[in-house]
Amino acid sequence: MGILASGWALIPSFTVIGLVLGGTYALAAMGLVLIYRVSGVLNFAQGGIAMFSTFIAYQIAVKWGLPSIVGLFAAIAAGMLIGYVVERFTMRPLTGRPALTKVVITIGWLLILQAGAGLIWGATSYHAPVHLVSRNGFRLVGTSVIIGYDQLTTLIVALVFAFATAALLKYTMLGTSMRAVADDPDTGKLWGISVNRVTAASWMAGSAMAAVAGVLITPLINFNTYSLTLIVIDAFTAALIGRLTSLPWTVVGAMFLGIAETYPRAFFNGAGVSSLVAFLLMLVTLAVLFRPGFSGRRTV
Amino acid sequence: MNAINARRISVVAGIVLAVAIPAFMADYYRSLAALSAIAAILILSLNVLTGFVGQISFCQYTFAGLGAMTVGALSGAQGHHWSFWISMPLGVLFAALGGFLVGIPALRLSGLFLAILTLGVALGADRYLFANGTWNSFTGGVNPRTPSRPTLFGYHLTSQYSFYLFALAAFLLVAFLVWNLRVGKTGRVLRAIRESEVAASTMGLNLIKWKLAAFTVSAGIAGLAGGLLAVQIGSVSPASYDFLHSITVAAVVVVAGVGSLASAAVGGIFIWWLPELLRHTGVNAQFFQLILGLLLVVQLVIAPQGGVVKLEHDLKRVFGLGRRGQDLELAEVL
Repeated sequence: MGILASGWALIPSFTVIGLVLGGTYALAAMGLVLIYRVSGVLNFAQGGIAMFSTFIAYQIAVKWGLPSIVGLFAAIAAGMLIGYVVERFTMRPLTGRPALTKVVITIGWLLILQAGAGLIWGATSYHAPVHLVSRNGFRLVGTSVIIGYDQLTTLIVALVFAFATAALLKYTMLGTSMRAVADDPDTGKLWGISVNRVTAASWMAGSAMAAVAGVLITPLINFNTYSLTLIVIDAFTAALIGRLTSLPWTVVGAMFLGIAETYPRAFFNGAGVSSLVAFLLMLVTLAVLFRPGFSGRRTV
Repeated sequence: MNAINARRISVVAGIVLAVAIPAFMADYYRSLAALSAIAAILILSLNVLTGFVGQISFCQYTFAGLGAMTVGALSGAQGHHWSFWISMPLGVLFAALGGFLVGIPALRLSGLFLAILTLGVALGADRYLFANGTWNSFTGGVNPRTPSRPTLFGYHLTSQYSFYLFALAAFLLVAFLVWNLRVGKTGRVLRAIRESEVAASTMGLNLIKWKLAAFTVSAGIAGLAGGLLAVQIGSVSPASYDFLHSITVAAVVVVAGVGSLASAAVGGIFIWWLPELLRHTGVNAQFFQLILGLLLVVQLVIAPQGGVVKLEHDLKRVFGLGRRGQDLELAEVL
């Protein structure tokens, strides 16, 4: 009973942790959805891209001791570069070929990034996290909940990216082109849209979001080349809750997942139960939302 | 020389070479050969799913892990001291049960979503079932189980060569089973499902039954490979069955080609001998996965039907044997 009581007492602060975790998942998942909607390819390498870019930030901010913000921007640049290379050299030549072939190629990229990072930074040992801001915090008015400035930053960055992506898709020429290509690439071409450029842009943006997610999550988990890649499972779950098409539902799903993964830690020792949450949620989502024959590329 | 004779001769020659060559090897390389045979069984397990019903799985090592851990927990010094011959079939059954359970949600899904599901299963197993903690009594946790080699006709298969022959026999047995599935009525049913589920169901085929059966058999074969791996190495460590291994074997299947027995053998050799080759040239063995990933990407961009399968087709064309190979694209096979 004692454990249970302390468990409930932890809920408010764990809600904050859950939302922060959910924010990082939301970023990675939105990148996934963006790439999927525009190019029709489910990017299994999303976790690998997040991991590799994050290690670039780690190299710069922790190993070389440069300001963390430099590391973050380097990670974003690395993510965009990887996204561009993947699209330009291994997706574009396969235009018109079945989507599943392209999906298997992302598995190849996952192996490359995983093995590459293992060779550069070591495969198993854990690393010091990249702190963007100080770990001090403030007490939420009227409660006993302490919110860290780093937690707040993570949440804000995630939300800013979410709204920025929505705005990009809605109000800019590039976003409009992306939506057009997502609906129907052929019609897009007829309207004079360069499908190649739009697709490359979506891969770069999606991969950059994975990079930001990776950097932001480092203070929250013990990170090595393996554990960071596992973010892909949470990203997939959140994206599936958004049916791989809806960005708002993806964010909602990611926040829900973050909280659902965090609460069990208040009651159970170890990470066992909470690590099962993502899998169970994915199973339920797949069973409920995806009927046989669902293609995911519905036209809006 | 017609096509059937040529095939028979090449199969017999292949078996003779597979028995003879390791006889001249040092014990260390014999153990690598045994590991290759076991990996080939694992690749065959994926062939049953991919080549026949067009489903892909990124969790074959999870099934293999179920088999290995059952064998580890039941036989051997830290286990219940059961005989290999009792614990191995139980391991196969347990893995098959796992495949059956994964197969149930998979019936509603196809293509991409099934791939996500199997990846989820592999990661879920990594983080929960195989992780140090709740299930240590099954996995062994931080104290790996040490199952011992089986005894066959009163002969304890402790020597590397005898166990290699045992593993090779297991591979040939599974290959025979899979080949029978392919040429018999079952094979026609499964291929009909792969080509068109709608057409197959209008022919009165019970899709659910056949797909579940394919998942169950595939996982059972993977469990067999896992159990053999456990007794070959003599130790069961959960980290050897994580999702990266599953992805590696899936990648090898894609690179070597889907649905051919020769590609399974080549894939099995590739998985164990390329890292060994790298080790000898003083290169970090992690380059293996890097090379595999590059091969996968380059291969799919250039020859989407799989390297070994393409080579087979080319050879047949050169010698004028068999049907003109239709170059199926991977995604049409999946």
